[in-house]
Amino acid sequence: MQHIIKLFFSPLVFAIGFLWPLSAQILQSVPLVQSNMTAWILGALIATAFGLMAQFRGSWIWIK
Amino acid sequence: MDQVTSVQECADLSEDQLGVLERRIAGKFMHIVPWGAVVWGIGNFILWLSLWPLVLMDIIPVWLAFPIATLNVMLSYLPSHEAQHNIIAGKGRPLRWLNELVGHVSTIPLVLPYRVLRATHMEHHAHTNDADLDPDIEVSRRSKLDFFKQSLLNRQPDSSKQDVYGATMERLGLSHMMIDALVFNAVYLLLMFTLAWSGHAIEAALLWWIPKQIAITYIEYYLSWAPHTPGVEKGRYRDTRAFKSKLGNLFSMGMQYHIVHHLYPRIPLSLTPAAFRALKPILQRRGCDLGAL
Repeated sequence: MQHIIKLFFSPLVFAIGFLWPLSAQILQSVPLVQSNMTAWILGALIATAFGLMAQFRGSWIWIK
Repeated sequence: MDQVTSVQECADLSEDQLGVLERRIAGKFMHIVPWGAVVWGIGNFILWLSLWPLVLMDIIPVWLAFPIATLNVMLSYLPSHEAQHNIIAGKGRPLRWLNELVGHVSTIPLVLPYRVLRATHMEHHAHTNDADLDPDIEVSRRSKLDFFKQSLLNRQPDSSKQDVYGATMERLGLSHMMIDALVFNAVYLLLMFTLAWSGHAIEAALLWWIPKQIAITYIEYYLSWAPHTPGVEKGRYRDTRAFKSKLGNLFSMGMQYHIVHHLYPRIPLSLTPAAFRALKPILQRRGCDLGAL
């Protein structure tokens, strides 16, 4: 149970659960990105990069 | 005598006489139900809640709702703070239910549970500026610039600040109350994830996630840093200071007179300026740091 709770509150889950759709929807709303698919792929890349940094370095902004 | 107008007037009083006078003056501002805080706490929450259907149903644009939501979240702590100190109604009083309702409801936008806030806040009062026991000491002992940096760093996953309230609750033997924090945060994340994956991530970010980040910094600045910096002195009359805010008393959330709150926590926030003016000669005689007020 403790592992499930820890996983749920982990930065990586926040990145996938929130930052990915947030990044994708922001990219969809700007004229720079042509297709929805591109926005979701770029969104995944951005969210994963931040999520991995937060998960393994312990900081969303690198410095800590 | 139940008022003084100058330091000279209280210069000849003994410590005991001064104490009696101080308590008598402060007593005039206590035991008054702060109805403004009640309306503020519940009204502010309802207003913030109402932004969600208004934005999701395209009745108002999200760019307009964002500053309103930010203001709502910034204003959500203080009504609960009144309740934490039982100012609305103490235990056994007829309006106790209202005290607890305001306490629980008003901080929902901040995703902070009332029982944890109350317990840790009482520790802050009991051990103000104690490096080991004051759960809010982290931000006080810093320069202004360093405060903002630290406020940001405190929110990082590996920050030691993340465990401070949990550790305080454990020390108090109240770890079971941390379930409130777990439930609050789990519901918050589930709502954010659901909104985000149903196409409303930007709305969720602008109505809750970003306002919450701004509000935490604002509240920490005016409630923890400004009245307690440099955070080294201890003692009833030295651990908190009065200060003149460039934003005025209203926009600094009434915290210019936070020293009155620490001396007499049962005085409602709205009455602290008047209480400060009435107590000022005594506080000067006590050697309190009254800033430029």
